[in-house]
Amino acid sequence: MADTATLGSTSGDYVAPKRFNPWPVVIFICLFTLAILFLAPTFGVLLSSVKTTRDIALGDLWAIPSSMYWGNYVEVLSNPAVHGYMLNTFLVAAPATAFSIALGVLAGYVFAKLPFKGSDLVFLLVVSGMFFPPQVILIPLFRLFNLMGLIDTLWPMIIVHTALGIPICTLLMRNFFATVPNPLREAAILEGASEWQVLTKIALPISLPAIAVLATLQFTWIWNDFLWPLIFTQSDEKRTIMLGLVFMKGQYSVAWGIQGAMSLIASLPTLIVFLFFQRYFIKGMTMGAVKG
Amino acid sequence: MNQSNTFWRVALLALPLSVFALIIIWPLLSSFYYGFTNWNGFSDNYDFVGFENFGKLFSDRLFMSAAINTIIWMAIAVVLPTVLGLSLALLIDSHVPGGPIFKTIFYLPICLSAVVVGQVWVWIYQPDWGLLNTIIEYVTNDRFNYAWLAKPDSALYSVIVAWSWQATGLSMVIYLAGLTAIPGDLLEVCELEGATTWQRIRHVILPLLTPATVVVVALSVINSLKGFDILYIMTGGGPFNSSDTLAMHMYNESFKKYLMGYGSAISVVLFLVALTIIRLYFKQLKKVDEIYG
Repeated sequence: MADTATLGSTSGDYVAPKRFNPWPVVIFICLFTLAILFLAPTFGVLLSSVKTTRDIALGDLWAIPSSMYWGNYVEVLSNPAVHGYMLNTFLVAAPATAFSIALGVLAGYVFAKLPFKGSDLVFLLVVSGMFFPPQVILIPLFRLFNLMGLIDTLWPMIIVHTALGIPICTLLMRNFFATVPNPLREAAILEGASEWQVLTKIALPISLPAIAVLATLQFTWIWNDFLWPLIFTQSDEKRTIMLGLVFMKGQYSVAWGIQGAMSLIASLPTLIVFLFFQRYFIKGMTMGAVKG
Repeated sequence: MNQSNTFWRVALLALPLSVFALIIIWPLLSSFYYGFTNWNGFSDNYDFVGFENFGKLFSDRLFMSAAINTIIWMAIAVVLPTVLGLSLALLIDSHVPGGPIFKTIFYLPICLSAVVVGQVWVWIYQPDWGLLNTIIEYVTNDRFNYAWLAKPDSALYSVIVAWSWQATGLSMVIYLAGLTAIPGDLLEVCELEGATTWQRIRHVILPLLTPATVVVVALSVINSLKGFDILYIMTGGGPFNSSDTLAMHMYNESFKKYLMGYGSAISVVLFLVALTIIRLYFKQLKKVDEIYG
């Protein structure tokens, strides 16, 4: 993508090189200012996490600290509740990510390679699922899991996130499988391979990039989710990190430094995923959006 | 061959479609059903109350203000992330040094959770030492401690700005993707013909970005309907329900007051609004597809 962007704007360098062109400088300054404004909120959390609550209350939050105070991190990391929150979130996010991708692979393959009469309509129905606000299915799901006695376990979250991931996973996998040449599949089938073998031995190995895209997206969304844990959990032992963050805010109500350290630690997994897989992330976001 | 195709279709689709049907479609349909009952969330018996819940919507002052707030949120969501995202995309696409770094910076908020974003912005708006008031005090050189989130006049708008901060990154990358699709020689011709930068943007780039704009606007509107977490963190719909949205109102009625029948009626309204927007979106996409291929 970056390559074509360069291609698209080489015309900027085309003008007579001798004349001073103020535009790049102006644009750079504009962007730089905006970037600072944009980073300010995140930077504030970073600053707060290395300051004592007293300093923050005195109005020193936005100043560069003269010395680092690590006590907030010590406090958060030594709190066993935080370990529990992190573990719970991981126990929800990892299987739900895997399951939703697996289901998306199955459905996407059929929609791409074995279309049938009306399959476009079914596909559209599935994909449109990702656009609806979750409030629409909140109450019946609460009742369902309540009747099953699964409230205050991790299961409802795993199940719901698996299901909510189906639209985006199906969409991306179908679009990816559509690029796998048909003759490849036909040749394999003529040689006696079953559809399942085509899917697992031919289509899957070359679709690893699409799976990486989905894994980053799904993991981030599920990790960051707040609504479903809010509905489905009651005891502190079952809370996920984002819910824990809100509840601990009450516990450390004016300990802003500790809150800052907590936010940062809670965001660390998704930040790492984002920084390492940014390319996949952007690709997934734009693909999911544009082809919808 | 044909028969085996049918077998594989059924075999491969069975699991994904049944999970989807059970966890998405069935609850959706039962929301309509519960909308006609007075179920309280716990008891096994409830009565059918006909259209009572839906009738109540119109006399519910809080529902009306939540609906208006949702419309305000949508309206701002159409403008703010779109204009900001487009501007950033145009600036970054201009071959500026450090472009990829800027892109990362503006896109970064999207990987943060609404809970964290909400909390960060609570600090920005904090009356005594928040960044916003600190800056205002610095500029005006006067004491200023307006409580942005605690005043009914500003609470909703303050939350929407925080939300837009996060939403802008997505608009930007969609526009950037759109910009890469514009052929470079077209822009070169403009240059040779002596078009100014503004003319080039106004008459060539913007029209060609129409597909991206359709996507950005639609996503902004749809996502604004989903805006719940950040509101819950920042104001909880307060003060005095002044920043309630439909999603928030639905949550309050169902899970705070345990009026699940009435809450279902609100979720039905939410569904119908979302459905209308999504249909408009798909229709526009199709139109754009026909024109731009």
